Amino acid sequence: MSEQFEPNVVAFLCNWCSYAGADLAGTSRIQYPPNLNVIRVMCTGRINPLFVINAFQQGADGVLVSGCHPGDCHYMEGNYFARRRFTMMKELLDYVGVDNKRFHMSWVSASEGAKWKDVVKSTVDEAKEVGPFAQFQRNKINW
Amino acid sequence: MADLEKLITVAKETVSRDDVKYLIGWRQGTYGFRVSPHFITEPEEADKLIFSPLCSNNLATYLTLVEKLPVPRGQEADTRKIALMVKGCDSRAVVQQLVEQGIKRESVIILGCPCQGVVDLAKVEEKFPAGLEQVAARWDDGKIVFQFSDGEKAVPREEVLADKCLRCRYPNPVLADTLLWEEVEAGSSSDEYADVSELEAKTPEERWSFWEAQFSSCVRCYSCRNVCPMCYCEDCILDRLNPTWVNRSNNISENTAFHLSRAFHLAGRCIECGECERVCPVNIPIMTLNRKLTKEVREKFAYEPGTDPASKPLQASYRPNDQENFIL
Repeated sequence: MSEQFEPNVVAFLCNWCSYAGADLAGTSRIQYPPNLNVIRVMCTGRINPLFVINAFQQGADGVLVSGCHPGDCHYMEGNYFARRRFTMMKELLDYVGVDNKRFHMSWVSASEGAKWKDVVKSTVDEAKEVGPFAQFQRNKINW
Repeated sequence: MADLEKLITVAKETVSRDDVKYLIGWRQGTYGFRVSPHFITEPEEADKLIFSPLCSNNLATYLTLVEKLPVPRGQEADTRKIALMVKGCDSRAVVQQLVEQGIKRESVIILGCPCQGVVDLAKVEEKFPAGLEQVAARWDDGKIVFQFSDGEKAVPREEVLADKCLRCRYPNPVLADTLLWEEVEAGSSSDEYADVSELEAKTPEERWSFWEAQFSSCVRCYSCRNVCPMCYCEDCILDRLNPTWVNRSNNISENTAFHLSRAFHLAGRCIECGECERVCPVNIPIMTLNRKLTKEVREKFAYEPGTDPASKPLQASYRPNDQENFIL
């Protein structure tokens, strides 16, 4: 029996929309892949691109950044800044050879439990498709 | 044409002003084709100033590199100006520092030197193996003339100019208080990002192995950070231990993380002076990495850092209709 590869996906969710959206998906009993490690941040504008680099270094096979739709940010403009930042980050990661399928960004509002399921599903599927991401991982030190 | 007499006269006038602390220019280095930065506090020191195809150093770095010590109680802060000689690309660095409010406009005097391109030392030393003898150089109508002790040797400019100069679009200073001589013709050089597209055409695996080979030779000397006129955070994440974003161990994971964070820190800020690549002791094509972001910034946000003193920094501003076709 061959074990199927289960990717390890890190998701950074904004407190006000995507986290609530994921919560709604849970309370509505919508099934979605369990490969996600959710990290709640107050706003997508708070997500330092170094978080993404660090997630990959610590063994993530994929990273998802999710926040409020443009115009809906709790802090008025945080997601606009995040959008600029990750537009460039995605291009840079792709350029050094981190497959485009490993990094995603999405807008999921608090009422979009069903959309959240689709986003997670496509993210996890794509991470599965490209396989484990060992090249960028930090060497584990056994003390 | 570079007018050395004018340069020295203006430098003398500037440095003898009471409100000027010092002037930064170039002088002949101690050996070979080297050129050193020249810090002048007295007018008579200005005689050593030069401006030649060898002056590749970007002096704008020194504006922010200077240590800012706390002012002792009862003393006034030194608010004297710093005078700086700039080429076209250097002036973009100054403008970008002004845009980011890293320096104040009133604290700097910009002496603009329209430039016909500087040489790439590696290309020159390949042609003329380096000796200890000091060599000067000058521009001469599409050629660069090197003045050796046993005579002059002229080389077509395309053969020795740095890559950044061959595609230069800003040979004249974008911002200058005094223009030292007449502006040079901008020429028809365009920037098609050929080096970037070449790499973009490969598969992700090929790109990874290309960069893996480059990054694994990195010795993490941080010269690229130190020389960069745009790298002036007082508290750099690379020096910080808590949190340790990038570990100090030299392996492919940390090296890649270092280069990614350094490149990303320059997203929308890199003014393409090419200094990082020039100083790299292991010849990593750092500009090929930076230029990818420059290209994206130009295409996606129609923004060019260091060209407009009135603009806002790219990452500190946004447009509601920025494109977002990659977002799920």
